[in-house]
Order: sequence, then structure tokens, then C-alpha cells
Amino acid sequence: MLEIKNLHAYYGAIEALKGINLTVPDGKIVCLIGANGAGKTTTLKSISGMVKHTGSISFNGEDITKENAKHVNKAGVIHVPEGRLVFPGLTVYQNLEVGTISWHGFMGRASFEEDIEKVFSLFPRLKERRDQQAWSLSGGEQQMLAIGRGLMARPKLLMLDEPSMGLAPLVIEEVFRKIREINEQGISILLIEQNAKKALENSDYAYIIEQGQILFEGPAAELEHDDRIARAYLGNFAKKA
Amino acid sequence: MILFLQQTVTGICVGLAYAMIAMGLILLLRAAGVMNFAQGNLMALGAYFAYLFLGKLHLNPAIAVILAILSLIAVGIVFCCVCFFPFKRTKWPQAMLICTIGAGTVISECCLCFITTETKSVDPIVAGSLHLGSFIIPYQYFFIFGVTALMMVGLWLLFDKAYCGRVMSAAAQNKYAADLLGIPTNLTTMLTFCIVVLMVGTAGWLLAPVYRVSNSLSIFQARAFAALIIGGFGSLPGAIVGGIAVGLIESYSTYFTTTYKDVVVFGALLLVLAVRPQGILGSKVKKDKA
Repeated sequence: MLEIKNLHAYYGAIEALKGINLTVPDGKIVCLIGANGAGKTTTLKSISGMVKHTGSISFNGEDITKENAKHVNKAGVIHVPEGRLVFPGLTVYQNLEVGTISWHGFMGRASFEEDIEKVFSLFPRLKERRDQQAWSLSGGEQQMLAIGRGLMARPKLLMLDEPSMGLAPLVIEEVFRKIREINEQGISILLIEQNAKKALENSDYAYIIEQGQILFEGPAAELEHDDRIARAYLGNFAKKA
Repeated sequence: MILFLQQTVTGICVGLAYAMIAMGLILLLRAAGVMNFAQGNLMALGAYFAYLFLGKLHLNPAIAVILAILSLIAVGIVFCCVCFFPFKRTKWPQAMLICTIGAGTVISECCLCFITTETKSVDPIVAGSLHLGSFIIPYQYFFIFGVTALMMVGLWLLFDKAYCGRVMSAAAQNKYAADLLGIPTNLTTMLTFCIVVLMVGTAGWLLAPVYRVSNSLSIFQARAFAALIIGGFGSLPGAIVGGIAVGLIESYSTYFTTTYKDVVVFGALLLVLAVRPQGILGSKVKKDKA
């Protein structure tokens, strides 16, 4: 279980997060919704130790507030960054290989074939593209590769930053289906989205963040029908439903 | 005909040395995002080490080679600590570039100050020449060929076959994503610096018997740069092809002129820029956000 208490984050003198409290229970999908610049990505970056922050972050009882990305990964929290950021000059297979670094070690010799097979069975398309360089993949395939690379690190909690960004509606459907599949394997998910409707449909619990503060929180199904949220983030979708 | 053959062999061997320097430039550009302007000086440093250990201290060649390798690795670490780490978070990327220019000056002055100010010759590691009728090639050229080929195979094995090489190229391609995965990017960058300094220093050592030891060796940097552009900026195979091309052009140009070799080389560079600006092989990796 990931527990964040009173998290403040700073970019120089600017306070990007003003005291966030957030919990991701085991085996659940929790989403964090908000507009551009609300502090969604900053929250993830704080957890991964990539920005200056104060407060307390713990995972399964282990305090990871001050840890760097490597140790956070070792603890089982993997951050799949916004914009996918696959390694363009490496093949699909090599991208997956590199994902193992946190438990495999720089000079390690342990086998990761099983992990790769698991990822390939989840994303058969990646298997077809096994030896293609990552830059030649489509956006959806790159997103799957980025998630697959995250899975290679053997996460207990997968943090996905805008997995639907820049993808076609059909591909978005598929990505969310895969996210649920991953969740069914027992991996908790912290999902960040601007696509509020899709995110709420696919999560158990949701937080709405605005200007560095949590505005609302609640079970996703309830928030989906909350008028205030419908007005701010969902357009007319919720009213029809 | 004999002359042509001879020029071809010399051209290829010298070209391979250029290729090593050019590959080093590419590796650093990828890993640290900096065009290293001390590359020529680092190469000269390799040649100076050859003179220092063999000519000045008269060490056993085997010990000299080991000492040179160790010192080059040490130089790589210092170079990385001075030119890369302080500027890692700078908002002005040119700072690193200018620092490499400064480092180049420091390296060349140190060579002049502590090793020698004169132009020295160094005995080739393999003495003698191959005589086939009137076709004469010093064995050193074959030695250059062998060692550079070996280093290139080594690099290929490292980056294409070994796990740690893969991790290094990942870190070079996207530092942020690599950090998130827990790749020790500082370590991979430092390793890259060491590999590059070692490569370039070796190239200098190999060329020392042919070109003699002096600070003017650092002008090879410009030719390596030409090799990069002729071969196709950004790719390692391009650097090799370009290096050999520049070596051959330079070598064949002795048919017409020996004084204006550089004019011919850079004339060819201009020609390539006009006709095929992406270079012979072109760049394989797309630069846009993948």
C-alpha cells in the first residue's frame, strides 16, 4: 500500500504541490485527475524522487520519502513516464531488457526470459515487433512498450502517467483494457489522466487535483456522477450516463 | 598501380584511426550531449604517452601499454568529473562545450610542460616493413588496422551484445527515462568517457610512429569531424565509413599535392554537404520525440 501524507513539492521557489494526501490500497486502481499543471506529474516525480519534496511517502510500510528512483524501483514502485519515452534506438526486446536493471543490476547475469514472455503474452503486438527499433513503433505500440518495460521491473505498484496521451480512441480502449488486465494480476495501479471519463470508468478510487491540492476524492463510480466534477472535467458525458 | 595500392592501404589504416576519433565524438555526444572539442588533444595525449613511456622512460613495451591504458582511464574519469558533472544541470548547454575547449588547452599545455616541447618520433610497436616487389608497407600500418578493428568489434560486442552496453545506450538515449528505471546514469556516463578517452588515446598511440609526436596531432579533430559528416552524422557505422573515406581521400590527394591535403579533405566535405547532406549512411535514429 502506498501512503502519501502532506506532500509538498518545489521547483525552485515555486511550490507545485501544497500538501497532498493520497493512498493506493493493494490491488486497486486509483486515478489522479486534473488539468494541465495541476501537479499530477509532480506527484509521481516526488514519489520517484525526481523533484525536491517534503512530507512522507511510504510503500508497504517502508519509508521511501527520500529515496532515489533506483531504490523506489527496488521497493516495487515503477513510474512509467508521460510521453512514453521508450529508448528509440533500441529494439523492442532491448527496451524490455533494460527495464530489468533495478533488480538485475548493471553487470548481472540473471535470466529475464520469463518476464519477457509474460510481457509478450500480455502485449502480443510487441512480440511481432520484437526486433524493430522502438522509434519505428506506432504511438499505441510505444505506450505498450513503455508499460511492458515498467512490468519488467517486477512492480507491485505501477504508476502510469497519461497512458492515453496522443492515442486514437480505439487504441485508448485497448490500453485501458490492458491496464485492467495488469491490475487483475495483482499489481496496484496509480493512474494519472486528463481523460477523466476513461480514467473514472476504469478506476476504483479517484482523486481530483487542482493547483497542487486535492479538491475531491471518492470512489470512482460516485465521482463519475458528481455534478461538480461533471461540469469541470467531463463535459456532458456524465449527464447522459 | 603500386603507388595506388600503397596509398589505399595507408588511407584505410589512417582512416580507421580517424574513425575511432569520430566514434568517440558520437559516443560522447550521445551520452553527455556535448561535442567534445578536446578530442584532438586527447588523441595527442595518447601519442605523448607513447613517447613518455617508450621514448623517455624506456619502459618494457608491455608495461608501457598497461600503464598507458590505466592513465587514459584515469584521464577519462577526471575529464568526466571536470567537464560533465559540474554542468549536468546547467541551463546553458554550451557551458560544457566551452569547458571541453578549456580542457583541451590544459591537456596540450600539460603535455608540453611535463613531457616534451619538441616534436619527437616514437618507435613503432611492430618494427620493419612488408616488401612485395616495390610495394612497401610498414608493419605498423597492419598493426593499426588490427588494433582498430579489434576495438571496433569490442565496441560492437559491448553495445550490441552485452547487457551493460545496452543499459549504457539506453541511458544515452533518454536520461530521464533511464533515471526512472534506476539506471545509474552517472556511472554509465563516466564509463562512456573512459571508453572514449581510451579509444582516442589508443588512436593517438597508433598514429604516433607515423605522424610523430607533437601538439599538431590535435588537428586530427577537424578531420574526424569531417569524417562524421561525410559518413552520416550520429551513427557509429557512419563514423567508420566516413573515417575510412577521409583517410582514402587524404591519401589519394598525395597524387596532386602534399601541402594542401586539408583543402582536398574539406573540399570533399563541402561537396558531400552540397550533394548528400545526410552523409553516406545517413542517420538511422529519428531525432524527434519517440
